[in-house]
Amino acid sequence: MPVPSSVTKRRGKRLVSRRALPYLLSLPALLVCIGILVPFVTAIYYSLQRYRLSQPWAREMNWGDNYIRFLTDSDFWNTLAVSLQYAFLTVGMELILGLGIALLLQKRTRLNNAVSIMLLMPLMTAPALAALMWKLMTNPGFGILNYFLTLIGIDDFRWGASPSSALFTVVLVDIWVYTPFIMILLLAGLRSLPTQPFEAAALDGVPRMQQFLRITLPMLTPYILTAALFRLLESIQQFDIIYAMTQGGPGDTLTVFQVEAYLNYFQSTNVGRSSALLLILWAITFFISNIFIKNWLRLRERARGEV
Amino acid sequence: MSTLELRGVTKRYKKETVVDNVSITVANGETLVLFGPSGAGKTVLLRLIAGVVEPEEGQILIDNQNMTDVEAEHRGLGMAFQNFALFPHMSAFDNIASPLTVGKRSLEEIKTGVDKVAKLLKIDHVLDHAPRELSNGQKQRTSLARALAGSPPLLLLDDPLRNVDAKLRFEMRLELPLLLDAQGATVIYVTQDYKEAMALGQSIAVLAEGRIEQIGTPEQIYLTPKTLEIARLFGDPVINFYDVVGQRDETGVFVELSQQRLLLDESKAKCVDTPSVLGIRPESIKFVPQNSSNSIPITIEAETPLNEKIVTLAKTEGGREMLISRPSGTAGPATGKAFVKIDESALLLFDQVSGKNFVDPAQLNTEREFAA
Amino acid sequence: MEHQSKLETVLRGAALLLVVVFFMFPIFWIFLMSLQTNETILRVPPSINFEPTLRNYKALITGKLETSAASLEINFLQNLWNSVFLSVASVSLALLLGVPAAYAFARHKFKGSEDIAFTLLSFRFAPPLLVLLPLSLYFQKMGLANTYLGLIWVYQLICLPLILWIVRGYFEDISPDIEYAYRVAGHSWFSTFRKIALPLAGPGIAAAGLLAFIFAWNNFIFALVLASADKQPVTVGALAFITASGIQYGQIAAAIVMSIAPTLALALYAQKYLVEGLSLGAVKG
Repeated sequence: MPVPSSVTKRRGKRLVSRRALPYLLSLPALLVCIGILVPFVTAIYYSLQRYRLSQPWAREMNWGDNYIRFLTDSDFWNTLAVSLQYAFLTVGMELILGLGIALLLQKRTRLNNAVSIMLLMPLMTAPALAALMWKLMTNPGFGILNYFLTLIGIDDFRWGASPSSALFTVVLVDIWVYTPFIMILLLAGLRSLPTQPFEAAALDGVPRMQQFLRITLPMLTPYILTAALFRLLESIQQFDIIYAMTQGGPGDTLTVFQVEAYLNYFQSTNVGRSSALLLILWAITFFISNIFIKNWLRLRERARGEV
Repeated sequence: MSTLELRGVTKRYKKETVVDNVSITVANGETLVLFGPSGAGKTVLLRLIAGVVEPEEGQILIDNQNMTDVEAEHRGLGMAFQNFALFPHMSAFDNIASPLTVGKRSLEEIKTGVDKVAKLLKIDHVLDHAPRELSNGQKQRTSLARALAGSPPLLLLDDPLRNVDAKLRFEMRLELPLLLDAQGATVIYVTQDYKEAMALGQSIAVLAEGRIEQIGTPEQIYLTPKTLEIARLFGDPVINFYDVVGQRDETGVFVELSQQRLLLDESKAKCVDTPSVLGIRPESIKFVPQNSSNSIPITIEAETPLNEKIVTLAKTEGGREMLISRPSGTAGPATGKAFVKIDESALLLFDQVSGKNFVDPAQLNTEREFAA
Repeated sequence: MEHQSKLETVLRGAALLLVVVFFMFPIFWIFLMSLQTNETILRVPPSINFEPTLRNYKALITGKLETSAASLEINFLQNLWNSVFLSVASVSLALLLGVPAAYAFARHKFKGSEDIAFTLLSFRFAPPLLVLLPLSLYFQKMGLANTYLGLIWVYQLICLPLILWIVRGYFEDISPDIEYAYRVAGHSWFSTFRKIALPLAGPGIAAAGLLAFIFAWNNFIFALVLASADKQPVTVGALAFITASGIQYGQIAAAIVMSIAPTLALALYAQKYLVEGLSLGAVKG
């Protein structure tokens, strides 16, 4: 066997290169991301400062003061309340609707597949643009939805312009965009369920409602949980829809975390408070994302196992 | 042809040691079978030799060159995988050609090379098929052809017959030794099938839990298995085991089975007064006419005719099970009571505690060499 | 399921119809609006009885906007181009960086690889403004504010984790034996990566790339914070456009249609890959 003459030289060198290879391969991606970690640390630093862009002379460390003030700051509590309301309303409604539609489309018929593909369209619409679309449809002058409302006797519904219906309006847009996400996940989950338990239950004459509660729902729970947590993570940070629709208004009706932080930063130029707000939001999302990742990994393992 | 030498090769995954201080020498042109139950570390050992997995300790030498730190592609060997590992996006031709596309070979040379090995393995008519269009047998042959195409001096075959059906396995078991001989390569062959090991190996290395338990010729391993476990793994039907205690009187060393004395030679003397396991191969038990001297009475429970032999399950008077094997076409009782005689020269005796053969095969080997 | 009553069939049909109407109507209606002049849009009651016109699209493409008050120059095509360029460049860069990294994470379980992979994934779930606001200050200092380069870099926040996690799954699905076989046949790791791993993970890479493209295209907040008018993509541009054009509703609708058409077309084209990608591989499509 003609041994390559360079074999002896390669020795040793190979060990180094083999050990280093994975690092070398992932290094560029890491470097790009590290650039983004720096601002994260900066944000922590800012959040501990009294820092307004308009008053650079007054900038100083005030340590936890921004956070302590939140305790007595009604705007903050409003932000927290609106954010939670928004997140739970959207995710709750989307779960119910998504599950319902998934059940409706469970059978693999042509019509059902066509509908499920159609439902991808709202999901693929940029949320900011979706908000604009709904804005056009709810325009007080010519909005088609206003016209529909007058047909059932509701005049002068102000949608996003009125504090009493603004939350409803943005939640509606969110539902329009993101229900298909939950639907798609649950539909894939439903269709991947084993059929035997259902056949056995049907043979035993178990009523359909019972089948659903006793078999479908428990088996679908990991999918529901993953979809819900995933949406909760995004929903509590929602910015695009709300900002494009009402810019947080009217008044402070819709000043959810990111909108409030954005306005704080660019309108009141209060960098310190804005950063502190975002860090609190980050803490919330970090908490949820840890639960989410655990669930998601389990589901992912299972999906891989089925291949 | 190549020589292969492993020196104290050890591989650990996390804390688990899957290959434990393995040393083997394989001579030029020899076929060594790595035999052992699944999880014994056979496949990992093969991958260590191939260079796709790195050992934590030890050295791998090919032709006396230290290859431990040499990348797989520079080791110049061929390998066939248990799951075939064909490239799904390439035709059978391109699969087989993959060892030939390295370096500066002309298309013509590559084609000649592939055609030659494809003819040899009788797959020249499916070369333009994608792997998914091949039957299981054709896949297996393609993967072998790929391993052979580069005429590697060292060939690693990882249980290549595992995933093919019984008929094909039978065919290949006959065909493969000829094929390997023709190649003239040094071969490391992994299998869990003792018949394959016996048929193919010039020597067999038995692995268990990452360690080499015994290396020897097929006869040596069959006749003097180092442990009870090896005796159990080699042989079909499986060897009969009985718990006994060796005794000695003026006639010599013996054990008792169903009140009959089975005389042992002095090499097994260590069993005296020691809890032992007596191993009797089913084919060293013979039916005898009624009640001749030293015969053991049994009751036949069931008879299973196989291709080349007939296996009888019986019970001794003490209620112990006994498997008896005789060649097909020979007469024997099918039911009821019968008598058997045991070939005392073929008895195996193991220490009940350690499971070790009282006769050390290594020692026996040297004795044999002296005799020769 | 087999024996449905008639009532149930009817109810199911009605529910399905309701679902389709709710989710399709806005797109349909905006599309209709984009083909109308302001006069027909403002009619009360609204009607689908109108003479379709491409005037709105023409105005957007030429960049000349006639309002009742004055003629206005709006460079919507620039926004469209920005969207195309930012999305394509970001996804290309993310593929270039992410695919090798995904391969490293899938094949070599090196020290800390899981931690790094999770850190990258967690970017996807952190509030974007948290990073964006300080970053906008840094960008001003570094001269990256309002540059394509800066935006493409930040877009990696969306594209990289997506590509990394989806493609990694596809690499993991390739049996290592297949790669070993190619190595043993005498090929270097790099040619194994190129000739075996890349082609076999090809569909996954394409799916991840498409999905990353859609997410990059749909992104709003990054460019809102970091870009001014000439670098803004359609998502931000359309909002500014509404403020500027005031009551040219037909043109707004046309702008929206042009902005969402590419992602919708891509989504329909690649729908069978999307399910797996959307769930980051938790669900098989």
